Amino acid sequence: MTTRKSGSRLETEIERCRSEGQWDKIPELVRQLSAKLISNDDLGELLLGECKLQAYLKENPIKQGSSPRGPRLKLVEVRKHLTAALDRGNLKPDYLQEASLLMAKLCYVEAEFREALGHYGRVNLDEMQLAGAPVYRLSMIAEAYATKGLCLEKVPAGSPSLSNKNSGSPSSSRSTTDREQEIITCYEKSGDIALLYLQEAEKALSAGIQNRSPKPGPTTQEQELGYFLETGLQRAHVIHFKNGNLTQGVGRFREILRAVETRTTQNLRMTIARQLAEILLRGMCEQSYWSPLEDPPAVSPLDDPTRQGHIYIKNYSLSRSPRLYSGENLFCPQENTEEALLLLLISESMANRDAVLSRIPEHNNDRIISLQSASVVYDLLTIALGRRGQYEMLSECLERAMKFAFEEFHLWYQLALSLMAAGKSARAVKVLKECIRLKPDDPTIPLLAVKLCIGPLHWLDEGEMFAKMVIDMGEKAAEFRAKGYMAIGLVYSLKATDASLRSSQEEYQRKALGAFQRAQSLSPTDHLAAFYLALQLAVSRQIPEALGYVRQALQLQGDDVHSLHLLALLLSAQKHYHDALNIIEMALSEYPENFNLLYTKVKLEAMCRGPEEALLTCKHMLQIWKSFYNLTNPSDSGRGSSLLDRAIADRRQLNAMTLPDFSDPETGRQQVFLLIWDFLLSVTLNFHSGKTDALKSEVYIGMSKPAEAAACTQEAANLFPTSHNVLYMRGQIAELKGNIEEAKRWYEEALSINPTHVKTMQRLGLILHQLQRYSLSEKVLRDAVQVNSTAHDVWNSLGEVLQAQGNAAAATECFLTALELEASSPILPFTIIPRAL
Amino acid sequence: MFGSERSVVEEWLSEFKSLPETHIPSYAGSLHLKKSLVPALYRVIQDPNNELLEPVCHQLFELYRSSEDRLRRFTLQFLPELVWVYLRITASRDRQSNGCIEALLLGIYNLEIVDKDGNSRLLSFTIPSLSKPSIYHEPSSLGSMVLTEGALCQHDQIRVLYSGLHPQRETFTAQNRFEVLCFLMLCYNAAVVYMPLSSYQSVCRMSSRLCVCGFPRQQQKLWREPCNRVLLDPEFMVQMLTAVYHAIYNGEWEMGREALEDIVYRAQLELYSQPLLLGNAMKSSLPESAPDDPRGRKVLQVEVTPTVSRISISAITTASIRRHRWKREDTDGMSGGEDSFNINDPDEGFSSGASNSSQPSGTKAGARLSRDREKVREREREADRKPELLTDHQPAESRPPQRQQSPPSSINLEAIHLSPIKKHLSFPVGPALVRTGSTSSSKSFDCMTFNLNGGEDEQEEAARGEDKERGISVGGSHRHSTISLQEEHLVRPEEAQELLPAGAPLTKQSRSPSFNMQIISQV
Repeated sequence: MTTRKSGSRLETEIERCRSEGQWDKIPELVRQLSAKLISNDDLGELLLGECKLQAYLKENPIKQGSSPRGPRLKLVEVRKHLTAALDRGNLKPDYLQEASLLMAKLCYVEAEFREALGHYGRVNLDEMQLAGAPVYRLSMIAEAYATKGLCLEKVPAGSPSLSNKNSGSPSSSRSTTDREQEIITCYEKSGDIALLYLQEAEKALSAGIQNRSPKPGPTTQEQELGYFLETGLQRAHVIHFKNGNLTQGVGRFREILRAVETRTTQNLRMTIARQLAEILLRGMCEQSYWSPLEDPPAVSPLDDPTRQGHIYIKNYSLSRSPRLYSGENLFCPQENTEEALLLLLISESMANRDAVLSRIPEHNNDRIISLQSASVVYDLLTIALGRRGQYEMLSECLERAMKFAFEEFHLWYQLALSLMAAGKSARAVKVLKECIRLKPDDPTIPLLAVKLCIGPLHWLDEGEMFAKMVIDMGEKAAEFRAKGYMAIGLVYSLKATDASLRSSQEEYQRKALGAFQRAQSLSPTDHLAAFYLALQLAVSRQIPEALGYVRQALQLQGDDVHSLHLLALLLSAQKHYHDALNIIEMALSEYPENFNLLYTKVKLEAMCRGPEEALLTCKHMLQIWKSFYNLTNPSDSGRGSSLLDRAIADRRQLNAMTLPDFSDPETGRQQVFLLIWDFLLSVTLNFHSGKTDALKSEVYIGMSKPAEAAACTQEAANLFPTSHNVLYMRGQIAELKGNIEEAKRWYEEALSINPTHVKTMQRLGLILHQLQRYSLSEKVLRDAVQVNSTAHDVWNSLGEVLQAQGNAAAATECFLTALELEASSPILPFTIIPRAL
Repeated sequence: MFGSERSVVEEWLSEFKSLPETHIPSYAGSLHLKKSLVPALYRVIQDPNNELLEPVCHQLFELYRSSEDRLRRFTLQFLPELVWVYLRITASRDRQSNGCIEALLLGIYNLEIVDKDGNSRLLSFTIPSLSKPSIYHEPSSLGSMVLTEGALCQHDQIRVLYSGLHPQRETFTAQNRFEVLCFLMLCYNAAVVYMPLSSYQSVCRMSSRLCVCGFPRQQQKLWREPCNRVLLDPEFMVQMLTAVYHAIYNGEWEMGREALEDIVYRAQLELYSQPLLLGNAMKSSLPESAPDDPRGRKVLQVEVTPTVSRISISAITTASIRRHRWKREDTDGMSGGEDSFNINDPDEGFSSGASNSSQPSGTKAGARLSRDREKVREREREADRKPELLTDHQPAESRPPQRQQSPPSSINLEAIHLSPIKKHLSFPVGPALVRTGSTSSSKSFDCMTFNLNGGEDEQEEAARGEDKERGISVGGSHRHSTISLQEEHLVRPEEAQELLPAGAPLTKQSRSPSFNMQIISQV
């Protein structure tokens, strides 16, 4: 550094130091400068004044919201330098302007606001050249505008002292609005030029780095904006929002965000992007939105109507503005959620970058800050995506939040809920486990887990564990206690259905009944508690008691579809088929497209009114399927399509609800079909209509129309060859045609797919009986009774086989059991009604 | 109801009837000046036995049918109250007929589901993607794009239909009730800014009462009128939350927060994940203090914020790790120009050069929507035909050929297109990677195909499993996509590794450094 630099080289070096804020190098450079030419002395004074002022501000930064504190000893020196520079009048005009601006800034720091305004009046900021100006001068101008704005805010509008200071129009004529307008214009100009300055500074910096070798030291240190530029960038929109002028505030936010970012503006952009998203989500709606590239509406409901006088009109243009993002096919939001999402995604990526990963205690505060700023963004993302039903994408976003989430309950819980909403049940349960660990006394969390376990997952053991957690909370679980008993009741009830041994079946049923009774007594106004109690009683064939509770459930919730269905089945168990049909028809008037109800209706109609009418209902079912799918699968707009998601969710539900035979847990678990649900849409559509075909053929079989039945079954079989139901149906057709051997083959195939399909077992047993293979027949039928001890026709067949074998005593017992069961047998198994939390 | 209120309503009824067409705009402008009219109308709506209810409902519908936005919004302000009255009566044991309210609600619904030309109104929006330049950002400057399957599938902006294709409804049934009400609330929320304070109060009141009536919490409320529990739909609760959220920040701070609490309470009791998710987010992002004026708005508080990062330089952050990595590479002397990277802070995955050059077009989304619409029509046409085999659908689904280039041929593309998450495979292996340079692109392809193959294997295994079980060939099961397999995890209890599947960012980060280095050094 001791080598002497030639004049222009020296000037460049000075310019660079000023631009990069390396004030400590200035005195040395000034010494070299003065040594060259006497006339440089004035410039030297200017530079020394500047660097001392800057050094002072660095040591004593002005805080936002606080006022400058008046004259300070150190500043006397600065004033001396600057006065010297100004007084002699030897400076080039550019430098003279700079000296005036610095003087004004000094006045502001010394709280001499009027004097500062006087200096600005002399300089005329608007005429300072932006194009071609050195980088440091851009910063100076930006600071000057901001300082002027600050001074104008301090000096009351009507102050007479201003007119003395040659500041343009006489102040007496100014209204408050004009003054406000002027202040905001100052800040907006300051902000625009500040953005320009930062872009230029960054450009110069990276150019400098590339030109210079060897590599410089830590030149990439964070550049600090300082009080004046910060104020210039932000004060304008702060005033807009204080005045209730949201339209202008939003406009200003957008202007700042559209400027190409620099390293220094990153934090500001992150804050502003989040704030703008908040406004879009909290204060705007679809109808009041205008796109960033459109003019705002003249009258907007956003603006505070009581402050109509404060409308600000932007009426300036700068000779040079900050660079904006540009290029072809720039995405520009057209809708408020779109814009909010874009902004939030940008904020999110920035927040993620600042995630503090270390866990040492010294960084605790940093970690809290980074967590807070991120979690605000994630909450807003949740609100924006949630109201549009985009849970899939939301769960992916929240997954990214997990780097903040160590021991943070809120983030874990939100992730779990989003996974649940997105249908990712298995993952949701695992995340819920962590939530339970973090907040062990909240009963909602284990209940949510049970809901998933007994619903889509069918993890009954896990479900039992979660439900027990709720029950163990006892009184602490408050209103959720009843729900806890209901949950465990459902787990036991489903386990009973799954159990293959009669003893364990009965044990689970007993436990389930106890739990439901407890739930019902804890929450007598909950229709679900009464309903599940009724259902469990029905399953254990306590028909009159069940009727009592289902009536109670219906009183609490008149149009609950499951209660109505159960009522109809109970009536059918009492052989009041016509009453049952009336109930079903009433229920169907409220739920015209419910397949479970329609299916029961078909069965009842076949019983009461003959197969012709049942067939009509079948056709109706088919039509509904078609229209249902034509309505709900239009968009394959891909990932995130909420309609499609809904359709899939519907199908999941349908799996449990509308396909009685298939979902009937007594006929083996649903794996086969659950696999199918993940098949794509059209496959399922056809599969379902195939199901209806199968149902239709059942009716045809009832009408002894083997040809039509065969055609129907064939259709169903083409679509879904591996269905045990279809094979069973084929067996029946073969039987109808008299092909016993063929029927036997079909039944055996059906059983190889689903070894616990009771109906098939019964038919097979009967055929074996016909073929006089008694002991094998007995074995099959006994297995069937093991699987479902309430199937009265199986008991009956078993009796017949035993009788044929000459075992009269056992046969009688079987017949008696059959008789007894038949007296309480519903038209379809009670378990057709889905059990879910 | 007082005589004066009655006369206000009667005057309003007769005035509009005698209004000539040309006076409607000025009438619309002056309607809000009738200060006593709105409270009087609320009284009428709240009383099911009021004989003015029917003419009032009729007139509200007439206003809604007019082409004047202000008149439509006048009717819309009563929507929350109408919904509340309707649902309360529906849930009550003695189901009085609230026919005229039902008719009004259905009338508004039937008007709103179609556009001006009578076509079904489709509401859609674009999910922005950070890998596309926008007016607010440049992909290169946001370094957080990890090169993952997830990032790739978000590469394109996606146009999403969030409401549409609602059928006309003549009557309410238990089955369609919430479909209609959800849509009505969606309309209300789309205009919520224009609603007066009284309507915000009404929406908060409606939400609170619907959520607590018949539950123990009702006992803590001032409003104790005995009432049955009202069944609620999760999606409807989300719409309620959206309206309440707005009310909170626009003058109904107290009532709004109470309603928010009540909705969350109910969502917990019902174990509804969606409203619980949103409600939690809304609660946790509430400002700590009420607005100064109890009726004041609090859309936003802004102060001048310091631009300096509040996080100390010494803390280890994602960004600092990155910086560190670049610095280390620098000392190793691997490549020049890393300082400019330092400024841009490039990240795992897409480096600046890679993503800059990879922006096909933003208009694709719109095009796709219109294609969707075509498809809708296609389906409608198909409705007339018989539901045929799968193959019949395929021509309609097939894509422009350029999008099918890259995925391995063993994956059935049609099947993938039908999948809700199809873009996993059909799009992302796109130009971005190809242009980063041959090695890196082949590398990433390896990764992709690895994933695909992984999925394939698993799927084949599943298929084999089926075969074994049944001894019967499984016709269409090869139409699985990896996605559907992921979905399938839901139903398979034995998914032990579920918590961290191949697509999870966590595992990815452990994998990415090696090959993002490669890509960047290509650049």
